[in-house]
Amino acid sequence: MIQHKKKIAIVLLTVFSLFFLMTFVSHGEEVVLRIGSPNMVSTANLVFDDYLPVFAHISNPPLTKMNTEGQIVGQSAKLIEVSSDNTTWTFHLNDSLYWSDGQKVTPQDVKFTIEFIAQNVPWAGWLKEGLQDISIQGPNAVVLKFKKPHTQINRDLSSYNLLPKHIWEKVESPQDYSNPGENIGCGPFYIKKVDLNAGIITMEKNPYWKGQTPQIGKIEIHLYNNVDVLSLALEKGDVDTYYRYASSYPYQNIERLKKTGRFDFVEKLNIGLYFLAFNLKRTPMSDFKFREAISYAINYPEILKLDGLDYGNLPARGFVPNSMDHFFETELLTYDLEKANRLLGEAGYIDSDKNGIREDLAGKDINLTMLVEPDYVRRSELIKYYLEEVGIKVTMKNVDESTWIALKDQYEYDITVTRTTPWGMMVHGGWGTAYFDSRRTGEGVLHIIDDPIFLGLVDGLLSTTDPGKIKELAHSVQSYYAENIPAIALYWNMIITPFNREFTGWQPDPLFGIYNIDNFVNLKKVF
Amino acid sequence: MVFPAKKVLRYIFALFFIVSLNFFLPRAMPGDPVINLLGEDFIAGKEAVEKIREELGLNRPILVQYASYWKNLLRFDFGYSYHFRARVSSLIISRLKWTFILVAPSLILGTIIGALAGSLAGWKRKSKGNTFSFLFFLFIYCSPPFFISLLLLYFFGFRLGLFPLKGFYTTGNWIDILKHLFLPVLIMTLFSASRNYMVMRGSVLQEKEKLYVWYARAKGHLEDSILFQHVFKNASLPVITLFALDFGFLFSGALFIEIVFSLNGMGTLIYQSILSRDYPVLQGTFLTISFMVIIANYLTDWIYNWIDPRVRANR
Repeated sequence: MIQHKKKIAIVLLTVFSLFFLMTFVSHGEEVVLRIGSPNMVSTANLVFDDYLPVFAHISNPPLTKMNTEGQIVGQSAKLIEVSSDNTTWTFHLNDSLYWSDGQKVTPQDVKFTIEFIAQNVPWAGWLKEGLQDISIQGPNAVVLKFKKPHTQINRDLSSYNLLPKHIWEKVESPQDYSNPGENIGCGPFYIKKVDLNAGIITMEKNPYWKGQTPQIGKIEIHLYNNVDVLSLALEKGDVDTYYRYASSYPYQNIERLKKTGRFDFVEKLNIGLYFLAFNLKRTPMSDFKFREAISYAINYPEILKLDGLDYGNLPARGFVPNSMDHFFETELLTYDLEKANRLLGEAGYIDSDKNGIREDLAGKDINLTMLVEPDYVRRSELIKYYLEEVGIKVTMKNVDESTWIALKDQYEYDITVTRTTPWGMMVHGGWGTAYFDSRRTGEGVLHIIDDPIFLGLVDGLLSTTDPGKIKELAHSVQSYYAENIPAIALYWNMIITPFNREFTGWQPDPLFGIYNIDNFVNLKKVF
Repeated sequence: MVFPAKKVLRYIFALFFIVSLNFFLPRAMPGDPVINLLGEDFIAGKEAVEKIREELGLNRPILVQYASYWKNLLRFDFGYSYHFRARVSSLIISRLKWTFILVAPSLILGTIIGALAGSLAGWKRKSKGNTFSFLFFLFIYCSPPFFISLLLLYFFGFRLGLFPLKGFYTTGNWIDILKHLFLPVLIMTLFSASRNYMVMRGSVLQEKEKLYVWYARAKGHLEDSILFQHVFKNASLPVITLFALDFGFLFSGALFIEIVFSLNGMGTLIYQSILSRDYPVLQGTFLTISFMVIIANYLTDWIYNWIDPRVRANR
């Protein structure tokens, strides 16, 4: 019996030793960062998919990037020069960049990328129309000459990934091209595999990367179609962090994650925001006094608490959040029901028949049609409640996103609640002008302002690269918003990103949040 | 031979009508695929948008587009997806494979379990076991699929950690695939079984009152033998219809389950195409489903003929 016990003890000891040895070996393995994301990739196409290009920013870094302070600086380009007339831009390439197959990144790659984008990408039509010539200067510079002044090309090129010419020039039909296998990249990581049936994008270290060596060996992006399931995956430990372009981790799930004791949170004030937009082509929304009165009818602290769970700040009349470069301080938006009622009365919107609904200037009951997208139902319900408190009837028209786009483009609404993204706030003239300029269009573009003063400010921003002038015009745009209230910011929200405490060194930027090269080369696993 | 030929003609007419409807229905929805193509925060000039519309052929008169749709279809060309950036046919084939693996076992298992349990429940209505099975399947039948999916995922995937939370696989070996598919297949089987259970139970309840059952009993047949040798065959006709319908819709995937388990199936393909107004994908997927429903109906007719002499006699 004793002999048997000894044998059992030896077997157990051997098993445990092997187990510890395996554990030790597994500890010696490369560190994997697993990111959970609800941004579903539809096709393994580095250029045309909705979200793969965002994920590829660290494998095929664009020429420029936004730094953690919100300024546009060089990334694959080490130096950027612009001619005094703003028509010629020179990008000096970082000469220590190598593709993951060992080939050097050359100015020919940059030239090819820009020509490829201009030729093939439908939403980069501006590049095709505006670009007069592209040439290579010296050993490492690319010169872009435009037909007319182009002041924001450094910013615009921060979203287009660098493509290896020796690979993509052989692609016959780039729009159909899908490569679920290895995609050559020149960042610290490159895409090893895009497996959509597994819902995993695998990125491995670029062996030829000469910059700061990343501490993590591999990145896995796990795609989840459902945010609630993704939250469970975080809690379970299937993924280490969360990333959703231009969006925060759901505020209502934060407390639950905190209770696990395994997560910390990166908090960054969003450049994008939620807002109430008016259709300025219709009455009474075209009346400034009406809009001003509405601005006092909204209970901002309450909407911040109920919708944003207090993860944010109260907004100002200047619309643009204080996280944005060249923020200009304007009067804070305040909730004052009495003032809202008084202003409406003074403007002629009174309830003469005492039915609880104010009449417009033609004597008809005001009944505003509010266009509601599925993602904004709760916010819209709050707005409806606030407006009805001051005697303005609101009829909600719930539609899907595509219908919302169609109806807002046809101006078939009175008011709507929508959002801006960080990128949307920066493009065109910047400071949210893209959303309002009547000469532009796009999914989220309202194109409701055709006031020459506003358009003049936008044109001014589009025609200068002088930092002093840009600052002055940016302030004027925010003053314009404050004085005219074409839209009302509901609150300025925080982007909250949970992360496993085993990783430290997070460096989010205001545009892509944690999804940037500086962040991933700085991350360290501490346990 | 005249009768089947007539039937084939009827099916051909139905197919023509469906194909035309497939073209006009997506276009009747409000929304612009071109603007959807730009993405949430891409801003473009109005001329640029018109240029894209021209490239996609969406600026042409609707009848010209319709003629071109027919022309392409007759060459088995379903077109090119605006949103997925791929040929519609290859998209459908890649999604169909996994949808089939997900839905086919659920459909077969669900039909067998539902039919057997339903027939027993109808036959011995008052037994404790059958009362329990009735309540269980009624609960499943009345529950929304996403609720049951989340519930099972929470307990078995999250709490007990027995199954993964997403995807068709992680490593790709068959044990890994089985582990990933277990919960989705279980849920779909439960729903399929509950539908078949209800139909079969009701059908057996009706059949068991018929004279041939009394006659068999009078002849001294055992209860089980009466149920499975006589009643089951007659009561299963509505289940065959249901199976055929489910078979047709097999190719429409299982949207809620695909969303909860992040599965890349036909359901999410159709859903995303509707959201982005991707006309070619909508046309292609609807056509595939319609075609399968028509085939399934034709097969049902044929099975009915084979299984039920009364149908044969009425021809």
